[in-house]
Amino acid sequence: MSRKLVQKINVGVTLLVLIIISFFVLYPLVYVVSAAFSPGSSIASLNIVPFKDGFTIKHFKHLFDETNYVTWFKNTFIIAVCTSSLTIVVCSLSAYVFSRFKFSLKKGMLMSLLILQIFPSFVGMIAIYVILLRMGGLDQLWGLVLVYLAGNIPYNTWLVKSYLDTIPKSIDEAARIDGASNLRIFATVVMPLAKPIITFLGITSFTAPWMDFIFPKLVLRSAEKQTLALGLFGFVTEKKSEFTNFAAGALLVSIPFIIFFVFTQKLLVTSLGGAAVKE
Amino acid sequence: MKTSISSDGTSKSKIRLASILFMGLGHIIYLKQYLKGMLFAAIEIIFLFFLPEIVDKIYGLITLGTPNPMVPVLERDNSIFMLIDGVIILAIVAVFLITYVISVKSALSTYHDYCISKELPRNKNFFSNMLGKAFPILGLAPSVILIMFFVVVPLVFSALVAFTNYSAPKNIPPNNTVDWVGFQNFFDMFGGSATWTSALGRVALWTLAWGALATFTCYIGGLIMAVVLHDSKIKIAPVFRAIFVLPYAVPSVVSMLIWQNMLNGRFGIVNRTLMSLGIIHHEIPWLSDPTFAKFTSILMNMWAGFPYFMLLITGTMTSISQDVFEAASIDGANKFQAFRRITLPLVLYQTVPLIIMSFTANINNFGAIFFLTGGNPVVSDTTTTSAGGTDIIVTWIYNLTINLMKYNYASVLAIMVFLVLAPFAIFNFRRTKSFKDGEI
Repeated sequence: MSRKLVQKINVGVTLLVLIIISFFVLYPLVYVVSAAFSPGSSIASLNIVPFKDGFTIKHFKHLFDETNYVTWFKNTFIIAVCTSSLTIVVCSLSAYVFSRFKFSLKKGMLMSLLILQIFPSFVGMIAIYVILLRMGGLDQLWGLVLVYLAGNIPYNTWLVKSYLDTIPKSIDEAARIDGASNLRIFATVVMPLAKPIITFLGITSFTAPWMDFIFPKLVLRSAEKQTLALGLFGFVTEKKSEFTNFAAGALLVSIPFIIFFVFTQKLLVTSLGGAAVKE
Repeated sequence: MKTSISSDGTSKSKIRLASILFMGLGHIIYLKQYLKGMLFAAIEIIFLFFLPEIVDKIYGLITLGTPNPMVPVLERDNSIFMLIDGVIILAIVAVFLITYVISVKSALSTYHDYCISKELPRNKNFFSNMLGKAFPILGLAPSVILIMFFVVVPLVFSALVAFTNYSAPKNIPPNNTVDWVGFQNFFDMFGGSATWTSALGRVALWTLAWGALATFTCYIGGLIMAVVLHDSKIKIAPVFRAIFVLPYAVPSVVSMLIWQNMLNGRFGIVNRTLMSLGIIHHEIPWLSDPTFAKFTSILMNMWAGFPYFMLLITGTMTSISQDVFEAASIDGANKFQAFRRITLPLVLYQTVPLIIMSFTANINNFGAIFFLTGGNPVVSDTTTTSAGGTDIIVTWIYNLTINLMKYNYASVLAIMVFLVLAPFAIFNFRRTKSFKDGEI
């Protein structure tokens, strides 16, 4: 009897602790939702109890009517889609070459990719700025895409190559005997087998540009070329304190992110763990 | 087909000499591979054609321009353009030299085949061979070109800037030129200048502590949550898991900016709530006291980072075979023992590379610091060095570049980050399958 009681108390205490932690996890998120719908503008004017200030959608209206929110969203989306699709093509192609072909300098190239991925890419930001300036890529979305794409190559080529190494070479050799060209084997035989890692690559390279701040700040200058991270940051700088507008904007970005994440989290975690552990 | 070389291997030095003399020469005169030889020769001819230009650019790289205050700003030597052009030219020269080596090797290997088969490869097959052989080159070309211009050249550039005086206010092109100063910046940072040295020591220590603590707290937090939700008898565990994953799903720019506002000393919701509940009577300096702000940033990073490890460890734990636990319970192990002796070692072993990756990622975690504290609060040397109380090396590099324009010092820091992180990357790499298989 008493053992059951101990167990019940155990469960009760665990539950209590979990609820307290949930509170801390949810607290800022709930507060942001409430701030997005509250009248007032700065954080100082908000009631400490969520949803107690009343309800308004004027901040969302403000975002759409008086700021470039839609443009920011569109720009970020274009950058993310281009970066993601180009990363998939370029990285998987070079990963395929590294995995299936023997050529001089292969070792050296693989080694340098490994060394290059150690650097955070903004270490070279001045040089990137000057190179883009001379290419006419400053204040252009494609300039930023090129920067992201190049930064993605070293690590992701390794990632995909490691995965392709686990696919038996006999499969593509069979296709080669049937007379298929290299490109054909790559596109119709190897890529379908590498779908999990390609999906993973697509997701990670799609999500990264949404949160990046340094390179958009460096590359994009004009008002109509801003990204979401820049725009949202602009609401809560030292000069401005439009927390409620920020909250509304943040809410609009986070919701698709969370939904997207719920659908992909299982894949993300297995790939994340698997890729690094089994490499 | 007649050829002037013997098939017993004695003509090797002849071919080597010809190939070294001019790219492709060995292919043309001895091996009768006219097309291939012409292609190589064309590369060398183009290179020689641009040689004056190349020499000019390399000369520019050495001098970095001469100051010329008399001419209009736009016509003065721009040291930074000269530096970048020089680096790009060096990269092109390197590619040329590599091609040269490949051409010599290819001539020798063709000759080697000839000695065995007594037959020279026919030109007719050249094109079909080329299509097959060109695939690796075409496949790698986009990667190589992009990496060269946007990764390698910028990195070499910043490594070189560490040896110049490229900094505000005196040496900013196009108004002024930049000069090579040798190891001067390193001397300044490591003992030469008291302010900079102490700032560097302070920031470097905090960066390492931050990297270690941020990783440790997230890992422990994730581990505890994963274990509790995995083992406990709570029926609604999936609900909690879904809640705990939320911080991971919210972009970190967003969540850190939210926390920055909520933790604001005077106006922030956290302090106002605690005060109205009567728990505290003075504002807690979450972000305005140097020590407290460090604590806050680690805490908030834990808020954002533990879900990652929770998901990961949950995944690892479910992959442990149930048989092991059954065997353990037959042997009389209780739950805690089973956890300590089976679950923990297995999970740790599997996640070591990820812990290391997470450590290096945290050292470079710009967003977690920049958006939460902005590197603030200000400490005694902040006005000179732009390094605030919670700045880590990468945010300091950002400040030095954007605000102070002390590019030379920023580059010294970048080199340091590399030297510190490289061993970790190599360690992780040595665990990979392709390394163990002896492939590279």
